[in-house]
Amino acid sequence: MRKKTIGFIVVLSLAVIASFSFGQDLLIKNGTILTVTKGTLPKGDILIIGGFIKQIGENIEPPEGIKVLDASGKYVIPGIIDSHTHIALTVVNESAVTISSEVKMRDVLNAEDNSIFTALSGGVTMVHTMHGSGNPIGGENIVLKMKWGKTSEEMIVHEAYRTLKFALGENPKQANRFAMTAPRYPQTRMGVNAIIRREFLKAKDYMEQWDRYLKAKKSKKLAKNLIPPRKDLRLEALVDMLRGKMVARCHAYRADEALEFINLSKEFGFKIVCFEHASEAFKIAKELAEENIGISIFLDNWAYKVEASEGIAYNAAYCTKNGVLVSINSDSSERVRRLFNDAAKTMKYGDLSKEEALKLVTINPAIQLGVEKIVGSLEIGKHGDIAIFNEHPLSAYTRCDKTIIEGEVYFDRAQYLKEREEMEKKKKEKEKKKVGGKK
Amino acid sequence: MKTQKKFIFVFLLLAFFGLTISSSARVGPTYAIINCKIFPVSGPPVENGVIVIRDGLIESLGPLEKISIPEDAEVIKADGMFAYPGLIDAHTNVFLEVKKEEPQRPTGIPMQIQGQETKHHPELEAFNLLKPKKSTLENLHKIGITTVLVVPEKGIYAGQSVLLNLNGEKAEPMLIKNSFALHINFSTARGAYPSSLMGTVALLKQSFLDTEYYSSYKSRFSRFSKGLKRPEYDPFLEALIPFVVEKKPVVFNCANLEDIKRALRVIKEFKLNGYLTGANEAWKVASLLIKAKVPLLVSLDFKPPFTSLYANRGKELKEKAEKEIYPANASNLHEQGIKFALTSHGVKKTSDILKNIQKAIKAGLPKEEALKALTIIPAQFLGVDDILGSLEPGKIANIILTSEEIFEEKAKVQRVFVDGFSFEIKQPPKGVKKASLSIGGKWRATVSGPMGEMEMTVEIEQERNQISGTISSDFGQWEISDGLLSENKLTFTISATIMGESMDMAFTGTAEKDSIEGTISFMDGSAELKATKIPDAFY
Amino acid sequence: MSKKLVLYITILVLCTSFILAQDKGPQFIAIKGATIIPVVGEDIAEGTILLKDGLIEAVGKNINIPEGAIVFNAKGLFAYPGMIDSLCSLGLQEISSVRGSVDSRETGRINPQVKSVEALRPDSMHIPISRANGITAAIVAPSGGLIAGQSSLIRLTGWTSQEMIIKSPVAMHINLPTIARPRFRRTTTTPQEEASKQIKELKELFNKARFYLKRKQAAKKNMLLSKPEFDEQLEFLLPVVNGELPVMISVHGEKDILDAIKLVKEEKLKAIFFGVSEGWKVADDIKKSGIPVVFGSLYAMPPKWEDGYDSLYRNPAVLQKAGVKIAFSSQSASLAKDLPYHAAKAAAFGLDKKEALKGVTINPAQIFSVDDILGSLEKGKVANIVLADGDILEQGTHIKYVFIDGKETDLFTRYEELLEKYKKKH
Repeated sequence: MRKKTIGFIVVLSLAVIASFSFGQDLLIKNGTILTVTKGTLPKGDILIIGGFIKQIGENIEPPEGIKVLDASGKYVIPGIIDSHTHIALTVVNESAVTISSEVKMRDVLNAEDNSIFTALSGGVTMVHTMHGSGNPIGGENIVLKMKWGKTSEEMIVHEAYRTLKFALGENPKQANRFAMTAPRYPQTRMGVNAIIRREFLKAKDYMEQWDRYLKAKKSKKLAKNLIPPRKDLRLEALVDMLRGKMVARCHAYRADEALEFINLSKEFGFKIVCFEHASEAFKIAKELAEENIGISIFLDNWAYKVEASEGIAYNAAYCTKNGVLVSINSDSSERVRRLFNDAAKTMKYGDLSKEEALKLVTINPAIQLGVEKIVGSLEIGKHGDIAIFNEHPLSAYTRCDKTIIEGEVYFDRAQYLKEREEMEKKKKEKEKKKVGGKK
Repeated sequence: MKTQKKFIFVFLLLAFFGLTISSSARVGPTYAIINCKIFPVSGPPVENGVIVIRDGLIESLGPLEKISIPEDAEVIKADGMFAYPGLIDAHTNVFLEVKKEEPQRPTGIPMQIQGQETKHHPELEAFNLLKPKKSTLENLHKIGITTVLVVPEKGIYAGQSVLLNLNGEKAEPMLIKNSFALHINFSTARGAYPSSLMGTVALLKQSFLDTEYYSSYKSRFSRFSKGLKRPEYDPFLEALIPFVVEKKPVVFNCANLEDIKRALRVIKEFKLNGYLTGANEAWKVASLLIKAKVPLLVSLDFKPPFTSLYANRGKELKEKAEKEIYPANASNLHEQGIKFALTSHGVKKTSDILKNIQKAIKAGLPKEEALKALTIIPAQFLGVDDILGSLEPGKIANIILTSEEIFEEKAKVQRVFVDGFSFEIKQPPKGVKKASLSIGGKWRATVSGPMGEMEMTVEIEQERNQISGTISSDFGQWEISDGLLSENKLTFTISATIMGESMDMAFTGTAEKDSIEGTISFMDGSAELKATKIPDAFY
Repeated sequence: MSKKLVLYITILVLCTSFILAQDKGPQFIAIKGATIIPVVGEDIAEGTILLKDGLIEAVGKNINIPEGAIVFNAKGLFAYPGMIDSLCSLGLQEISSVRGSVDSRETGRINPQVKSVEALRPDSMHIPISRANGITAAIVAPSGGLIAGQSSLIRLTGWTSQEMIIKSPVAMHINLPTIARPRFRRTTTTPQEEASKQIKELKELFNKARFYLKRKQAAKKNMLLSKPEFDEQLEFLLPVVNGELPVMISVHGEKDILDAIKLVKEEKLKAIFFGVSEGWKVADDIKKSGIPVVFGSLYAMPPKWEDGYDSLYRNPAVLQKAGVKIAFSSQSASLAKDLPYHAAKAAAFGLDKKEALKGVTINPAQIFSVDDILGSLEKGKVANIVLADGDILEQGTHIKYVFIDGKETDLFTRYEELLEKYKKKH
């Protein structure tokens, strides 16, 4: 009897494992492999089994029946990670209020957003899609893999840190809006900090109330007349920050407002993982490195606002050389397909090496998002998230030809060209018919 | 002595019942519909069938041999027509007065106050907004709809729906069930909180949490009030208690597949008695729906939602999706074994409802399933399947008689019974031609007759050659019905109320692009009408 | 006697100091040892460029270097002609969200009288940054409205706008509608209708201008005839209708391009097209018309999803292969330095690399009729030379020296200024 039940359990669990399919099998052959963390293989293969990288080397024997992708003459890099976007969302800002920490971008995903395809066409396999910067405290962001064609649930990366969007400076204080009938508090940077402090003070009180209640509930003496405090979703999110369950990603351009926010974080004990945009990070590179706070920035997009008027192109390279973890982001459904071009500029503005430049859009954003164990470089055991380029990815003449996630090809330029050719053929035939009909 | 007491007792009992019976609604007629093919939905079709209707209910039905026709029944010869249960449309907005909503802009809101000023109205009852119109009634009867769930439209908490039996022009006799469900839209408050979809989701969760908290606090207080601060009355939360705590139905309006997911998550988290409506992309999340087992009201609107791939890749693809892909929603759901009702939600023109049912059938939905989705299934979802949804003795006599099998191209509804009252569908008179022009819009009319000259404004709605609308004057608003525009010959009936007296007046005349001329005839005479078109305002 | 001596000595001193005080650069400069990419003609490995008084005197492998020439060691470097930006707003805006610093767009629809060079700010922080990336000349143009105004070709060095002007005006700018994206625009007329409306409007204006000129001329001849009342718009359109001043027409939709070609033909205008997002659909028609094309920033999404994700990227290659003369522009002030990367992006999607380089050098020079002095490293042209450690269309390349008019220019920009300042902090 026992053997039967054990046997049954084994068969059942095997069935469960088999049904839980994660990724596909793929063998990429003969490409120049830029692993990012473990050097370059001038001519090598990558074997992906069940979505995981199983082997990297030369002349790998293809297992039977596996799909083979010839990458001769091409460059194979880890899928690019964009750590600041607003794509795949139905809406970006909760603009009616200043504090909206209760909202979650996870609730407004749109898996049919064309921008997902745009991202894939630029070699991007993973994005951190965020609430907008209209509020001092925005909402909870989410990390997605660009699995075009799949459901929104399948795109969510559960391994990533939970992050809450904060914003400082001109956007939350609505500095660049036309005259409003009723200006919304706060309209200055000091107001922005005051309102963030206010919410954290409220959250602290709320947290203490709940801690007291839970403690009292356990003690049997007062249990009878005990009433729980009212659950407040807005403050719950901030309590998660205080308890370390969620980290801050803060939109800040100026050096001084970043330093002030660091003070705030120390006042309440929450963690800042990254400053977004941080045009003036180079001014406080040492401070950021000491606090172990990274930056997620544009390379050279500047001078469109006063707070971005001192954003120099050397920012990324200089901060990198001074020990800050730097990633380059797009914050745009157009720029998302040119991240590798931006990374290349750090070779001119700051003399980063090719290897250092490539890290800015691969392993660095992975570390910032807390997913460096599964993506960000080509290493055995990581996910088979890969982008293939026809020239070196840091050349201005390069083009992404294939984008692969967990061993499955999600973007194939050759396929796209074929489809376009067929569409044009059909169009021409339609027009011929029209003309023929008229005659 | 004992028998005397008994007699008095029985007498009083009868008198009591007699009183109650006599104080109920008007007594319906008795009919026997003979020589029809009956499709009861709850059983196999009956050839050469007879249906006996008495006082609003089906008394008996069956083949001619088995049914005895009562003496007091008025015999209606169906001449081989087909008899079906009256169709139930489980999501409409008919009879609702559309008020222009003021955009909510926070003018002069003092600083430091966040936009919490939004007024939600979950307590709003659709029944209180009803303004039944004869022409709408006739249009619905024409396509066989006898029962409707009228749903309030605007707002995140739109309000509570009402189930009506389309038996006339007054709201009270139509009422079957009031406050059937709370209806929720995934919309926003535009300019006030929540102004974004994620804010709306957060608001729903917070409202439900607060309702549970409020309700448990209240019940706690009612048990031990000493030493406990009394709960502050909150009408908003009060209105939500029946739905969140007592689990009355909550219907989520889902414009796209992500809305369906959002709704299912909320329903699960708060263990609501949840329903989904709209859901024209439901087939895309069939596996989730199978698991969730939530009643599904599927709209016959085939337009791809704005979030969809099909809506953002050019006009051609969008039109293709509307023609080919979305009409197959219902048949896909059926193949997956998912139970659903069909509704007209989102379909602008009444005539399109039937067209879209036919499209859904053409796309693969079996005809019998379409019929079920408009009869017994909505009856079950609405909790009225003991009295509606099929032709069975004891159920309400909502019956439609069609010239061909229902939903066929040429099938026309000839007669409709609602609550046992007969409504003959006016067929367009023979020799009626297509309208040669469009006269929809606003007209300024002068009527000159025995009472002198009067100014009136005429608002005309035109659907092909059917005309309806209203005439507004110092006397009030009168309805235009039975209107027909045959080429340029215009005829219609005006249902006027003058000094408390209601009378019907007939108009005959001709219409040109910018002018209408003709004669209004009434009991004691006639008057001349001349109207000129008021140009459409520029928006 | 002493008085005469004093006079002679004074004159001598004055003359010498006068000669010494001349701010003239040395007469000959020889740039030696670079790999020369002249754009017109074959590349020369380890060649020499000889400059004389700001012009190119000779380019070749073994050039005779005259005595007294300053020798510039360019071994290991690559020499290119300075790049030309065919449309930008350099000097017209500093911080785009601050109105006080933006002068690129005048209010109103019809402004042919407006000259962008009169708003040019020579001290703009964006100009050195663009220059430091190898761009030596640019068309600075006004934007907005139907007729935006006149642009000028400037050199990216100089203390005043007068010092910067190479050719002014260089074109009149006309803007036909772009392709509206369906969701967020709700115009009562479709963009196609609008374009034909506006073309009609232009024809009427041009017609009026011609008659205006005729009346003026007639009044000149005959004292008895009255002059027409001064009309600013028509006055400044006269060079356009005469064919003297080229028009740069911004046009995007397929049908609009064909309509614009018709307009140019009928009105006998000298024209350049700008943008032409759907140009690849009507490449042969554009070729037949002989109208050259300047592309806007390639950093934009395709206007119609159905045209493919790369429709703007492959547009230049399709047009160039059909025989159209093409040029690139940055269409920016703060990102003007990215001009070469737009060209490279087009090369990534089918354009020949040499053609891409031509699109930022000789082609714009020809399009704006300044190819006698700019656009390539050839004898007689102005010595606008860039020395870099690699391909100037590559993002990783370092630009080492930039010569404009034979003089080495300052490559210390706002970027370096802030960097140096904060290096001192740490």
